Amino acid sequence: VELVDESAALQAGRDGTGGATRAELFKKAALGGGAFLGGGILISGFPGIAQAQGTGDVAILNFALLLEELEAAFYADALARGALTGEVLEFATVVGAHEATHVEALRSALGSAAIPRPTFAFRDVTAATAPFQATAVILEDTGVSAYNGQGTEIRASAVLAAAASIVSVEARHAAWIRRLTFGPAYSGGRANYPAPAVLDTPLTRQQVLTAVGQTGFIAS
Amino acid sequence: MRQENTMTPLTLEQVDADGALRETAAAVAGDTRAAFLRRTGLLGGGALGGAALLGLVAEGAEAQSAGDRSILNFALTLEYLEAAFYREARRMGALEGELALFARVVGQHEDAHVRALRETLGRRAVARPRFDFRGTTESADTFTTTAIALEETGVGAYKGQAARIGSDAVLAAALAIHSVEARHTGWIRDLAGLNPAPVALDPPLTRAQTLRRVARTRFVVAAPRRRAGGGGGGGGGGGTPRFTG
Repeated sequence: VELVDESAALQAGRDGTGGATRAELFKKAALGGGAFLGGGILISGFPGIAQAQGTGDVAILNFALLLEELEAAFYADALARGALTGEVLEFATVVGAHEATHVEALRSALGSAAIPRPTFAFRDVTAATAPFQATAVILEDTGVSAYNGQGTEIRASAVLAAAASIVSVEARHAAWIRRLTFGPAYSGGRANYPAPAVLDTPLTRQQVLTAVGQTGFIAS
Repeated sequence: MRQENTMTPLTLEQVDADGALRETAAAVAGDTRAAFLRRTGLLGGGALGGAALLGLVAEGAEAQSAGDRSILNFALTLEYLEAAFYREARRMGALEGELALFARVVGQHEDAHVRALRETLGRRAVARPRFDFRGTTESADTFTTTAIALEETGVGAYKGQAARIGSDAVLAAALAIHSVEARHTGWIRDLAGLNPAPVALDPPLTRAQTLRRVARTRFVVAAPRRRAGGGGGGGGGGGTPRFTG
C-alpha cells in the first residue's frame, strides 16, 4: 500500500476548488470527532481513482462505484464490529443492503470496465455509535452531492435515469441518519436538519475524490 | 427490521379522485405553445433564512426550449401544491413537536422552490391553482399520510423528468431540488415510523402518472384562470388555499 501526500500537487492542477473542499472537510472532521485524517492523503497508483477521473460515462460510473464501494464497506464493517444497537443498527442494516445493491448494479453496468474492488480501513470509526453516525452523515451527504454534481456530465439517458434512482435513495439515507443523529432537538440548528437547505449543493468529481482521499479510508 | 406502525401508508391513489387536475394538466401542456422566452434559470445555492434565497440568473438570448419550459411548469404545479399544503397545515395549528418543525422547514423549502421556478419561468410561469386539502391538514395523522404521499410523488416526478431536460442549468436545478424532496420524504417517513428508504432504487413517475396521482387527491379545485402575473411567489395573495374543513 502506497500512501502519498499529493494534496498540493492535486490542488495545483485543479481549478481552485480544493481549498474550499479542504476547509469543509476540516469542519466535518471536527464534527466527526477526529474521524478523518488532517492531511490530504491520496492513494497513489490506486487504479480506481485514476479511472474515476477520466471523461465519459464509464468514468462517471466508476466514480459512483468507488463511492458505493466505500459506503457498502463502511456499513459492512460497522455491522461486523457489532457496536450498533436499536434504530442505528436498523439504519446500518437497511442502508448497507442498499449500498451493496448499488455496487452490484454499477458493476453489472460496467462489466469488465469496472474498477477493482478497493480495500478499506475504517480504523475505529465503525467501532462505536457516535463516530459511526457522524461519518455516516458525511458519507451520505457526500453521496448526494456527488451524484447531483455528475447529472449534467452524464451523456446517456439510461445512465442519468439510473443515477437519479440512486441519488434520491442516498438522500433518504442522509435524512434518516441526520434525524437519528441530531433529532429531535437539532441543537445545532438548521444545518443539522434532515433537509438542511432548499437545494442540495452539487460537488464536482474532483472535490469528492479529494474529500474521499482525505478520509484515509481507502487502503488499497 | 422496522415494526409495522399504526399508520397506514397512504398513496394518493387511495384518496379517491374525480380528475379535477385535468384542467391544470391541460394548462401545463398548453404552456408549451409559447414561442419566445426571455430567461432561463440558473439556481444558485443559498440557505434558508437569510436574504438571497435562490439566485436566478437571466441569460437573455439563451432561451428555454418549449420542452424544458413545460417540465418547469409541471414542476411548478407540484411545488404550488406542496407549498400550499404546508402553509395551510401551519395555519391550522394541529401539529406539534418535530412534526410542526417538519411542516415549517419543508414548507419554507417548497415556498423557495416555487419562487425559484416562477422566477426561472418569468412570464411563462403557470398561475397558481386553487386548492382544497379536504381536511387533511387538520390532524397530525392525516397531515402525515398526505405529506408522505405528496413528497413521494415529488421525488418520482422530478426523477421521471430528469432525462428529458435539455438545458444543463435546468437539469442541475431539478436535481438539486429532487434530492431535497427525497430528504423530505425520508424525514416524514421516519417521523411516521415507516422505513425512510424502503427500496434500493427509487422508481420514476411519468408526467401522466404524476398528474393522475394528484388528480385523485381532488386537492386542486380550480385550474388557474389567468396567467401568472406579478403576484409574487411567496405567501398570501391570490394563492391562499381555501379549505372546507
